[in-house]
Amino acid sequence: MKKTRSVSVVSFVVTLLMVVFCAPGWAQTTVSPLAPGGVKVFTQINPPPCDFGDVFYQENGIDPTQLVARFGSARQFGLPSLDPTVPNWVADSNCSTDDPTRRNFRILATTGGFRFGDGSPTEFISIIAFVTSQNAFLSSFSKQVGGSTISISKGANPRGIHMQDIVSNFEGYAAIKQVQADGRFALNPCAVDMQAPGVPTTPCFDVSSVNTVFTPNLRQNWNFTTERNAMDGSDHNCINTDPAVCPDGFNDAPFGYFCDDLLGMWIITYHWFIVNPLTEPSTTTCGQAFAALAKANGTSLDGTPIITKGDELDGLEGLGCAFEANAAVNGADGGAVWLICPAIPDPRNGGIAADAFLDGVRLKSGNFQSTALLNNFSCLQNTGKFCNEAAPEN
Amino acid sequence: MATKMNRNTLDATSRRDFLKLAATTAAFGPFFLFPDRALASQKKLKIAKWAHFLPEFDRWFVDVLAREWGNQNDTKVSVDVIPVEEIRDRAFAEVKAGKGHDLFMFPWPPAEFYPHVIDHGEVYNTVASGYGAIQQLAFRSTFNAKTKKHFAFADFWMPSPLHFFQDYWAEVGMPLGPVHYVSLRGGGKELRDKLGVPCGLAFSPTLEGNVTLHTILYAFRAWILDGRGDVLFNKNAFAVGALKYIQALYKDSGSPEQLAWGPAGNVRAMLARKTSCTTNAISLLRAAEKQDPEIAKKILLQPPLLGRSGMGVTALPHVTNCSAVWNFAQNQEGAKKFLAYLVDNSKAGYNKSLGCNFPVYPKTVPDLIVRLEKDPLADPSYKYVELKDALHWTPNLGVPGFATPAFMEIFNTSVIPRMVQSVVKGESSPEDAAKAVQAQVQRIADKWKQL
Repeated sequence: MKKTRSVSVVSFVVTLLMVVFCAPGWAQTTVSPLAPGGVKVFTQINPPPCDFGDVFYQENGIDPTQLVARFGSARQFGLPSLDPTVPNWVADSNCSTDDPTRRNFRILATTGGFRFGDGSPTEFISIIAFVTSQNAFLSSFSKQVGGSTISISKGANPRGIHMQDIVSNFEGYAAIKQVQADGRFALNPCAVDMQAPGVPTTPCFDVSSVNTVFTPNLRQNWNFTTERNAMDGSDHNCINTDPAVCPDGFNDAPFGYFCDDLLGMWIITYHWFIVNPLTEPSTTTCGQAFAALAKANGTSLDGTPIITKGDELDGLEGLGCAFEANAAVNGADGGAVWLICPAIPDPRNGGIAADAFLDGVRLKSGNFQSTALLNNFSCLQNTGKFCNEAAPEN
Repeated sequence: MATKMNRNTLDATSRRDFLKLAATTAAFGPFFLFPDRALASQKKLKIAKWAHFLPEFDRWFVDVLAREWGNQNDTKVSVDVIPVEEIRDRAFAEVKAGKGHDLFMFPWPPAEFYPHVIDHGEVYNTVASGYGAIQQLAFRSTFNAKTKKHFAFADFWMPSPLHFFQDYWAEVGMPLGPVHYVSLRGGGKELRDKLGVPCGLAFSPTLEGNVTLHTILYAFRAWILDGRGDVLFNKNAFAVGALKYIQALYKDSGSPEQLAWGPAGNVRAMLARKTSCTTNAISLLRAAEKQDPEIAKKILLQPPLLGRSGMGVTALPHVTNCSAVWNFAQNQEGAKKFLAYLVDNSKAGYNKSLGCNFPVYPKTVPDLIVRLEKDPLADPSYKYVELKDALHWTPNLGVPGFATPAFMEIFNTSVIPRMVQSVVKGESSPEDAAKAVQAQVQRIADKWKQL
């Protein structure tokens, strides 16, 4: 049985190590001790994130012309960057040099999120583009590589698998603001097919465009299920029909985020409160649950308790205090159904560039809602390590 | 009886003959497979098995597998093929009489029969030397945590993917299928409104209905019993939430036939293109390939729908083939030996079932993924590779616990389909129906705890 929200710290760490030691062609450089602001010298192994090249999208079953608000082609300025002079992406010819699957647009807007298995503030991703309907999944594509043909046929990749089915295993959890401009609290999205039954539908919060999941429109940071990753060999894959190589037989399962979902796509699971935490008495079941969560994780900018991990959301849903749903895959709801949003496999040692900025939910004061995410981002950017790792070498 | 057995329309003529034979057998006696060297003192092995969805599998089982084993072991083997819906009653009748077959093969874990069977741990141990340790699905489907014994032996299982008509779903902008439950309902509604074709999930008190509805409950985290056997159902908001979803799904995209289907009704509806999708073992698609290749071409498979509340992509098995040797069996040793022989022949079973029977022991079909990637009957040939991860999205019946006697009684008495029917027919509110079933489930759980 697959447990999407299960977590394996060991596999995560091993994965990072694998990425560090196995990634091909990535130049190893050292940041000079220049550093305005006192940036320490550290070894640069991992390249910063860039958009994928069109052909790589196609090879993975995605029609790049169907991507919405794609970095490199759109949104250079404006949200998620709050500073109109700071771009979300820049042209960078190193992108395709470091990794031929990339095109030369480097992403500066680095979205922070919680790992849904355990709530750790360690996820850093690049929301490169949005997918709003199944039309974006290619039905056919072929490319000659050497003497072989790589092809997408009837939507399936050369392994016969639909990208859509791979992506369904990886959920990104979006929490859209529920407090409306007029101060009223919306208990349901406006998309009828997503609504929680028996819960008021007026007012409702908008999910009809990709803008609704831009970070400033969220009440709290994203959650991601990156933990489902078999790159460390924990799935015991053996993909060779030669019995000498795979004595126990051919095994190629399950899907892993970093091995099968090469575009780093997520299916968006929207989640929201169906009981208003701002008015719910502390004596009710939901009120008590909200209070406990707020005490543990703090409150978001609209005053609602923050959810950092799967168990917390499941608990609220089980009590009838929260709900979740996905948007219609034919685009009927209008908003983002999937994200092209690769998690940075290893954000250490160069994965977070010096000019990258954290795209995170902020409080009214302008400060980041999650200081833990901010701290990790700053440590990675300035030292090449997470804050709880050993201090960088001088 | 024969009509009840008709799970699909594959090979109608031979199927009819076979059913006739099976019906006659059930009424008058078993298939007798006399080994060539029949002796007066010869041992006997009496087997009862559920009627496979593909009759050619049963023909092979009876005519080849059992016969060859009989020859090799100087044993007269008889096989009774029994309709799925009669299996439980027939087994209870044998238990009551204290006599009958030696080996009884169920399409689900026969946990309710644990006081009347041998410990099958010995068979698992025997098989382990050649094929490795028991995997989780089989272990959790055949192990009684209370007695610490295996009440059955599992050798194969069948996943339950979503089958959908690609051309129908393309009409509503979902040529790759609905993927999750919101789109199943939304797309299903659009499709019924536009083409008049309803969604075809089985909601009736049949094997298909039970598997489908237990899957939806599980995918909505509306668990019935926990790992200790305590009742979880309706002790949180998930059960009512799932019922409200099913109610809405039926209202928006369903049809009254869904509630009235007998065994394999969902299969027949798909084969007649009267519904747009269903969940089932791939015997459905195999039947379509044989009956009408043009229809088969239009049916695509998809892994189960993405569940809610962190449940991920998941579906319960359509079948968990579990064999039990009665503790009153006359030939227990022969039965145990035959079970090990089944595993030795898993590869042939996979072939004869046209890939429906996924082996419990992966080593027996080491090239399973390769076969799924390139199926000689499928168009396109990679259609079945959607099952690649099936073992990872298929938990055991009884999940999050084991297949306990209480859970299997709930399953086999169709508590859940009856609850759903009362809701979608408007006889009960989701809240009232869930409350009633909670009490019913509690009684069943309490009964088994006292035993």
